[in-house]
Amino acid sequence: MNPVAVGLPSILTIEDDPVLGAYVHEHLGRCGFQVTWCQNGQQGLKMAREQAFDVVLMDILLPGLDGLEILTHLRQSHSVPVILVSALGAEADRVNGFRLGADDYLPKPFSMVELRVRIEAILRRVALDRRPPASLPTVRDDARSLRFDDELSDVFYQQHWAGLTRSEYRLLHILHSSGEEVLSKAFLYQHVLQRGYAPHDRSLDMHISQIRRKLKAIGYSEREVRTVWGKGYVLSGHDDGL
Amino acid sequence: MTAFEGCLKRLPGKHSLFWKLACLLIAFCLLMIWLSWSWGRYMEQQNAYLSETSREILSGYAAGAELAWSTQGSAGVDAWLQRMAARESTWIGVIGNDLQSLGSTPLTDKESQRLTFLRGLDWPVSRHVNGLPWLKIPFPLDPSVGSLVIELPQRFMPGRYQLFWRVVTNGVIPGLFTLLLCIGLYRLLIVPLNQLREQANAWRADQLNTRLSYAATSRQDELGELGRAFDHMSERLQGTVVLQQQLLRDMSHELRTPLSRLRVACDSEQDLAQLRERLGREIDAMQRLVEDSLQLAWLDTERTPLPVEDIQVQALWDMLKENACFESDWPASRLPCLLGPDCWVRGNLNASAQALENILRNAIRHSPVDGVVSLDGRRDGEYWHLWLEDQGGGIDERDLERIFAPFTRLDGSRPGNGGFGLGLSIARNAVQRQDASLWAENTGQGLRVHLRLLAA
Repeated sequence: MNPVAVGLPSILTIEDDPVLGAYVHEHLGRCGFQVTWCQNGQQGLKMAREQAFDVVLMDILLPGLDGLEILTHLRQSHSVPVILVSALGAEADRVNGFRLGADDYLPKPFSMVELRVRIEAILRRVALDRRPPASLPTVRDDARSLRFDDELSDVFYQQHWAGLTRSEYRLLHILHSSGEEVLSKAFLYQHVLQRGYAPHDRSLDMHISQIRRKLKAIGYSEREVRTVWGKGYVLSGHDDGL
Repeated sequence: MTAFEGCLKRLPGKHSLFWKLACLLIAFCLLMIWLSWSWGRYMEQQNAYLSETSREILSGYAAGAELAWSTQGSAGVDAWLQRMAARESTWIGVIGNDLQSLGSTPLTDKESQRLTFLRGLDWPVSRHVNGLPWLKIPFPLDPSVGSLVIELPQRFMPGRYQLFWRVVTNGVIPGLFTLLLCIGLYRLLIVPLNQLREQANAWRADQLNTRLSYAATSRQDELGELGRAFDHMSERLQGTVVLQQQLLRDMSHELRTPLSRLRVACDSEQDLAQLRERLGREIDAMQRLVEDSLQLAWLDTERTPLPVEDIQVQALWDMLKENACFESDWPASRLPCLLGPDCWVRGNLNASAQALENILRNAIRHSPVDGVVSLDGRRDGEYWHLWLEDQGGGIDERDLERIFAPFTRLDGSRPGNGGFGLGLSIARNAVQRQDASLWAENTGQGLRVHLRLLAA
């Protein structure tokens, strides 16, 4: 095995549909992941237990053992991140999956771009959880920038506290420490709200809306949370237009 | 005190069947006991006395004995006694006031013994003594002279039909009353159950619109409750089935449109880029249709309450406005929110956002060029009454309710183009899941959609 391949994130996909499975296998391989494809539930569970994977991608309706059962068994001993994939788009199924310990839920049909965003979000969150971020980039200009207070979970700007909630603080903090990088909704859900992203889930958008209002209320206008359509959110200055 | 109240609480309610049954059974038991007691007594009494004819015959005998004594003395009595012995098999004697025989034959000791306890003609005759009773019948014309003593012949003994009357009073009549009680209980309990069974059978035959009679559901007791629960269940069942059928029919109809477009695209010769773009568009439409339909079905069938939180309407509007501006290319100034930051409602964020977003999208779609869609509202006691107003000219008064039905498109717009007509019905279901209400009204300028949400 060549030394580069060792560093690639490894993914186990458990998917019984040969067409979709092959396509996912090929596509993720091209994206730079090391993919193991397994078509049977029993076998998939065995592999997930024996080998160390970075992410497990799993269908719910499987021959042999159903995805939710695999998840139940797997969670007894392993904490490997699991993304459930299902054509059963029902809300109840999604809730069930999260209750059993799934990290994300992706309804079929999905685009490969979406799948990749979700996988990357989880990998990034895991990496972030493993090593706590170093202290914030050095404060540039005390008077004109926000001061983050981890103890109070709030930001301070020109004599005023913004009055953020814990989630809002976490969200603003991660946006701030990522600099000008656009963070995907999938990642922000994973990192801030500790759950998968679903199209009808508006909690994150609502937090963003509140952050904007609160920053505006304390008169902070040097940078603002911008929406990058189809990608995510970024905290950036005014001059970088959309 | 609390233990007492607890006991009281465990008692059946005022209209419970328990009280009816208890009253009925207690009354029945008391009636039975009273009947058998009083009738038994009456019958016993009736059967203890000699009948009218027996008395007349016996009085006749006494008159005959007196006649024999007064005309011929002891010889006459002897002759009369001889005649009588042929007629009656029991002992007969005629005695004077000194308790000595008036005939020539004196009384034996045993007979004298019997004379110490004699019954009158109108005394009750007990059945419980051994043997036949002895009666003393004074002479009718001059009772001081003497009396006829007779061992009562068996045929005059009262109570010959006593067994029969016992059977009637202790067996037949209680039996009949119990039968009546049974019929009453059957009508009270089983007839309503039979109606329920008939309705269940009607469902089996796919007649979901059958309902119980008014009499069955208007009862106040447990059976009435059961009937109402049953009716409610069939109502719900019918609603669900109708909705599902309608949804399935409409959905397959709607799916045909993108499918037929795809078929055309597949058959016609186009270059790959165009085909791919067309494919992507139609797949998006189909996916949206499936998701919306599932969402609608989910909102309608799921009965568990949604988690609620406090939502600031202004922040919610800002969030929806950003999306809407991106989708429609409207400037934010055309979507003003006239509510202050103090407007907080209590509800489920996702459902509320979806409802308001769908209403907003609908308003934008039907707005004229440079139209304005505004959100306003006022506090109404425990509620916030919000309304979203457009300038799209409004709709026909008759359609104000119809726009909330799934797959309703008023202006005959092409399917898939202006949506599938699911947005407002999803909005209504999402609002109703939170015990809030949603309705529409024409303002003259446009349509005003009202929302009544619980205030935080």
